[in-house]
Amino acid sequence: MIRTKWPYALAALLSLAGLADSLYLTVEHLEGRSVPCSVTGGCEEVLTSSYAVIAGIPLAAVGAAAYFSVFSLATLAIFGYRTAGILLRPLVAVMVLMSLWLFYLQAFVIRAFCQFCLLSAAITIGLMIVVLLAWKKGI
Amino acid sequence: MKRLLPFIIILGVLGVAVGSVVYLTRSNSGSMAGVNANQSSSWSQPTPQPTLKPARTGVAGAEPAHTHGPANAPVKLEEFGDFECPPCGMFHPILQQMEKEFGDKLHVTFREFPLASHQHAIPAASAAEAAGMQGKFWEMHALIFEHQNEWKTQFDARPIFEGYAKQIGLDVERFKRDVDSDRVEQRIFLDVRRARSMGVGSTPTVFINNKEIPFQLLPADSLRVLIQDELRAAGTQK
Repeated sequence: MIRTKWPYALAALLSLAGLADSLYLTVEHLEGRSVPCSVTGGCEEVLTSSYAVIAGIPLAAVGAAAYFSVFSLATLAIFGYRTAGILLRPLVAVMVLMSLWLFYLQAFVIRAFCQFCLLSAAITIGLMIVVLLAWKKGI
Repeated sequence: MKRLLPFIIILGVLGVAVGSVVYLTRSNSGSMAGVNANQSSSWSQPTPQPTLKPARTGVAGAEPAHTHGPANAPVKLEEFGDFECPPCGMFHPILQQMEKEFGDKLHVTFREFPLASHQHAIPAASAAEAAGMQGKFWEMHALIFEHQNEWKTQFDARPIFEGYAKQIGLDVERFKRDVDSDRVEQRIFLDVRRARSMGVGSTPTVFINNKEIPFQLLPADSLRVLIQDELRAAGTQK
């Protein structure tokens, strides 16, 4: 089963990494302290910027919910729920668009990068590739 | 059973995710965190009450430490701060207000904990320590915090700190030498070592009689209550 559905297994693993990453950012955001993130700096500029919150909800928490949804759908797809695999496509598409927008904000508006946000963007791009593969394989 | 398996896996991951967030925010004692986590999801979870952590002693920091207030004051507050960190800048006036309100009952210590993620944190800490070598640590400390937004955006903040040195009447040439001195470096190193030994990982981290105050309780209103509690415990409350 896993052998034929490996793109979904990969998607599930990637979404778990994304979930852990966005949960970490959620906790950091809620704590509001200055965190020692030394690779690129900029975490607190990004996490305390006005873009880090949508309607009072930390963006990182929205990300966590999205990754959890991807994980659920991918798991269901592995177990043969075809609809779940199809639903994964629009969800990941929205996540990719969101990641691109956030990358733009970090690069040109806030002018600070936060490495955990970049990791999330990388995971989302990975998810896109995997979901496209699954689509092509027709599973 | 097989049909249920994916749902069991999904629920398991959900449980681990919620559990870890609750654990992390609670271990950092965040009531605010609990409330917001509730908003972002529909999972109900108890709102943890932030409380002081058990007292820790840690290894000694730089001596003599930079302090305010009488050494035998019933309440001793120790801040580990980074001059470039925005919440530390916000905490500065709060602490000043507490010192004004509690006067002789409060003893305040400032310890350097410059974070690697801040470009100017070490130059700022060095400037404050160098001013301390001419007996004006607190004057420099106040200027650096009060003008945080002016120097943190600069490419090189040192000339600004030298300007502050002049402003508070330091021997600027000596200040410039002291900033790069081994003594200043050693002081910062010792403070950071003390911070690490007390489990400090972020700024500002504030201890009241060696008990760590949860970050959420640092606003003036909650901090005042904590100080009053400690005073009451020490039996000196009027």
